[in-house]
Amino acid sequence: MKFIILTVFFIFSSIALTHSQVSYKADNIEAYELYEELRCLVCQNQSLLDSDAPLALDLKKLVLDKLEEGKSKEEIKLFLVERYGEFILLKPTFTIKNILLWVGPLIFVIFGFFTTFIFLRKNPLIKEENVNLTNIEKDKLKKIIDRELKE
Amino acid sequence: MKKIYSSLPLVFFFILVIFFFRQLILKEDPSELPSVLIDKSLPIIKLEKLAEYKLFNRENLLMLKEPSLINVWSSWCAPCKVEHEFLLAMSAKYNIKIFGINYKDDKKDAMKVLKLSGNPFYAIGRDEDGIQSINLGVYGVPETFVIDANGNIRYRHVGPILEYDMKNTILPILNSIK
Repeated sequence: MKFIILTVFFIFSSIALTHSQVSYKADNIEAYELYEELRCLVCQNQSLLDSDAPLALDLKKLVLDKLEEGKSKEEIKLFLVERYGEFILLKPTFTIKNILLWVGPLIFVIFGFFTTFIFLRKNPLIKEENVNLTNIEKDKLKKIIDRELKE
Repeated sequence: MKKIYSSLPLVFFFILVIFFFRQLILKEDPSELPSVLIDKSLPIIKLEKLAEYKLFNRENLLMLKEPSLINVWSSWCAPCKVEHEFLLAMSAKYNIKIFGINYKDDKKDAMKVLKLSGNPFYAIGRDEDGIQSINLGVYGVPETFVIDANGNIRYRHVGPILEYDMKNTILPILNSIK
């Protein structure tokens, strides 16, 4: 019974998937790339490709129309940026204004390595001289290990 | 030295707190897009006529030589119904010329709204496939643009204009650019 229910669910989920891919299929690679690089402004963390919002469909149609007119990818992007701002680009441009966005993560990684390094160097537990045991301690340790091994 | 390092997480924590608190206090909707067309000239929009209502284009707005509003609306949009009475108030009480863009709407439905709830618009144009509104950077209805006497976009309001917005935002801006 469980198997049947699961099968039914899987079949329906595949229908849902194919349905969402019907409208404004990207026949050429350029349209597909643009769909992927442009943000749907209604559901803001989806690309046009993923989105079925009415505005996303309109924008897809606009992209196809512009490509048919012979406009280049960059021209279409510029056209949309002039109207919706740079926010419509899912990948921000590499400009002075966005520099922190690009370099920020790197700064944090470097900072992380730096603090880890300092932390490890300063930690007395890891220093070698503390690992040297006295004879009594060595005997104790040996006894413990022997006991563990016997069990 | 060691003390400084161990207090770093706390410092970071407070920086984060400041960031989050700022967002809480500002009450800005982060999903709201600022218009890139602010202080730019109104783009060309080619609209279609809706029945007997007066049609408009960019030139009509420029010829007015007074501040006006462009309101993007639709009969199927619920928030538009909420702001309708304030649009009526602005056109009747404050004598503001509102240009309506009927966005992806059915002719009959649009006319029904105007007949039943009143017509706040000085002129109306239909944008049947929504492409013309993309020229304005519209990403949802309703949206309202404040246009100055020289045909430049001065302000964009996303979402319905409520009484508060009318009194504290739209009307003061219109007054300031008269």
